[in-house]
Amino acid sequence: MATHAVVIDGLCKKFPSPNGRGEFTVIDSLSLQIACGSFASIVGPSGCGKSTLLNIIAGIEPRDAGEVRVQSQDGADSGARIGYVFQSPRLLNWLTVEDNIKFALEAQNIGRSSWNERVTKYLHMVGLAGQERNFPLKLSGGMQQRVAIARALAIEPDILLMDEPFSHLDEITARKMRVDLMQILEHARPTILFVTHSLREAVFLSEEVYMMSVKPARIFKHLRVDIPRPREPEDPRLFDLEKGLVKEFFAVLEQDFR
Amino acid sequence: MNRQTGLRWLSVLSFVAVWWLGSLVSSPEILPGPLVIGRTILTNFTTTTGPEEKSAAFHVAITLARILFSFSVAMILGIAVGLAIGLRRKVELAFGYLISLALTIPTLLAVFLCVIWFGFSEAGGLFAVILTVTPFVAVNMIAGAKALDKELIDMAHAFNARRGLLVRKVLVWQLMPYIFSAFRYAFGMTWKIVALAESFGLKYGIGYMFTFWFEQFNMAQVMAWVMLFVAIMLVIEHGVIARFEAKIFAWRPAHAV
Amino acid sequence: MKFFRPEAVPGFLSAIGLLLVWTGVSRFFLPTFLPSPLALLSQMFSIFSHAAAYLVIGKTLERVFAGLVLSMLLGSLIGLVMGLRRSVESFFDGWIMVLLTFPSICWAFLAVLWFGLSDIAPIFTIVLIVLPYVAMNIWEGAKAIDRELSDMATVFRAPRFLFLRKVLIPQLMPYIFSSLRISFALSWKIALVSEAFGASRGVGKELMYWFQGTRADMMLAWGASFMLLMVAIDALVLRPWENRVFSWRPAAV
Repeated sequence: MATHAVVIDGLCKKFPSPNGRGEFTVIDSLSLQIACGSFASIVGPSGCGKSTLLNIIAGIEPRDAGEVRVQSQDGADSGARIGYVFQSPRLLNWLTVEDNIKFALEAQNIGRSSWNERVTKYLHMVGLAGQERNFPLKLSGGMQQRVAIARALAIEPDILLMDEPFSHLDEITARKMRVDLMQILEHARPTILFVTHSLREAVFLSEEVYMMSVKPARIFKHLRVDIPRPREPEDPRLFDLEKGLVKEFFAVLEQDFR
Repeated sequence: MNRQTGLRWLSVLSFVAVWWLGSLVSSPEILPGPLVIGRTILTNFTTTTGPEEKSAAFHVAITLARILFSFSVAMILGIAVGLAIGLRRKVELAFGYLISLALTIPTLLAVFLCVIWFGFSEAGGLFAVILTVTPFVAVNMIAGAKALDKELIDMAHAFNARRGLLVRKVLVWQLMPYIFSAFRYAFGMTWKIVALAESFGLKYGIGYMFTFWFEQFNMAQVMAWVMLFVAIMLVIEHGVIARFEAKIFAWRPAHAV
Repeated sequence: MKFFRPEAVPGFLSAIGLLLVWTGVSRFFLPTFLPSPLALLSQMFSIFSHAAAYLVIGKTLERVFAGLVLSMLLGSLIGLVMGLRRSVESFFDGWIMVLLTFPSICWAFLAVLWFGLSDIAPIFTIVLIVLPYVAMNIWEGAKAIDRELSDMATVFRAPRFLFLRKVLIPQLMPYIFSSLRISFALSWKIALVSEAFGASRGVGKELMYWFQGTRADMMLAWGASFMLLMVAIDALVLRPWENRVFSWRPAAV
């Protein structure tokens, strides 16, 4: 039984400079360990490399140095199922909602016999029961993002990666989605790695908060949020935590810019 | 009948009226009237006509067969070439200029050259058509290949989709609008060039017939054959193809079509 | 040194390769059937060392120019009115569709039967094919006019002429220009077809003459020269003009 779902050791990533000369280091010797079943947030300002980190874990971006190990719940090294919810829904607009989910199931080689059952179950879970035959462009932004969440959950992943999934939604929809996400995750508990630039969101949603600084990206603080679930969005303890974190962030940012 | 349809009928009727009046004023060698043309078309179908004593149906069939063949080949080649160039930058740098060059060559020159080089045969004529249409298809496919959404491809990779699944569910659909616009445009071009090729180098066919009558200065027959040709192509372009297109793109929001 | 971009290298190499292949293949054939690249070049030079060649090209250019200008003017007018008035649109849209379907050779024949071997035949042919195309383009442009800007002009009580000059026409410019360049490209090709069948003098007539003499080399020489001239006009006249008119736009990514 693996204790850590994600182990990152000394990760380095470079990108070519925009002006065409040389490279700059986006991620430098980053190390991180996420325990199985935990909900971890990575918080940092925009452009600090959080999305790149997720993309490397998901395998769509190559790394330059260091190790990334992703393990499934039962410890098998290869074959950890990874689900990914992007900032924009990234649905295939020419397929119906149910076909979009089935696309992910087919991609993951999941047996056809369970497809319909999973589609129904996870659409219900995200509050979109009955929307199977609709096309994505007929749905609102919030609904499209829920389909994306259902798609990621339907493969029953060991690890769920979420890259600022609510940042493109309006504030009211986003708030509702956060509360809904908490309820959804009562039923399914993969390990979650949630990237956000909002300290408030990180502190509300997760148990482990990792703070990331910029240029190059590295984790400079780790915080446990011990408030039991279900959590109230207006809980004063969350406010206090957030205040403390904001102070730390500013301190680090000032250091970086000196 | 709403206003728009009424205006369209008015448009057609006024054209026929002007035509008929014009035919009354001038002579049958210059502007035969609508009735004369109608009768000519009928006669062409019910009797054998022209230098080879074949009925109009025969010529129409031959022309359609040529169009179908060269159009299909041009689509397949054009898609292949277009994707090859659009998907790989190196290929584009090495050979992209040839497409621009091919697009500049006037069809008359292409038909003439192919007829001289390959003789007055089916091969020569059809080769000219394929040569001229393929670059147009390719250009559309190059635009389609460049417009492929990297985010969706990344999403498919993040979910570990195999190549076959990626191509089937993600890539092909994104290319469909481009394939379609290439289809429509290429079809329109193909039959015009087939008409040209039939005028010079091919035996039988609608183009062959109206060239024959042109050389005889038979205005009525020339107009009859031209109208027949245009009518058939209109039915195919706007009847058949448009319907097909509507079904494939049902997933798009209405105003984008 | 703009020419020595590394990107140009693969194209350059492939061009050299193809020219070599062409030269090799041409050895197997008569020079009148398939001239080598160098033979073709010298053929072109010899044609254009005589004044007569320039008169021929001039004649064709005249017709192209006339046909193009007429098509642009009439086509833009019709397209504009179609875009602004629904009734006009319904009246003409069927015709545009039909005219777009006509092969150029059909008009070429009809024009010769009606107008004989004069200048009118090629110009007529050009107009009948290019005008519907321009009309369709400008029609789409007129339909796409930004409603918000028109409303703004109304709120500021702009008189009709000012509205046309400063709000409407500038929005149509991209459509006018793109149809200008494509219409130019269409026009000269149609001119060739039309001249081949019924003109007293012109590049198309030359092509037809040499075709009947099975002189592929002369056809290539005339064809290539004319093509070069057309490309030059597009690159040296039309495109820079377009760039100047649109200099207010940020450079496309």
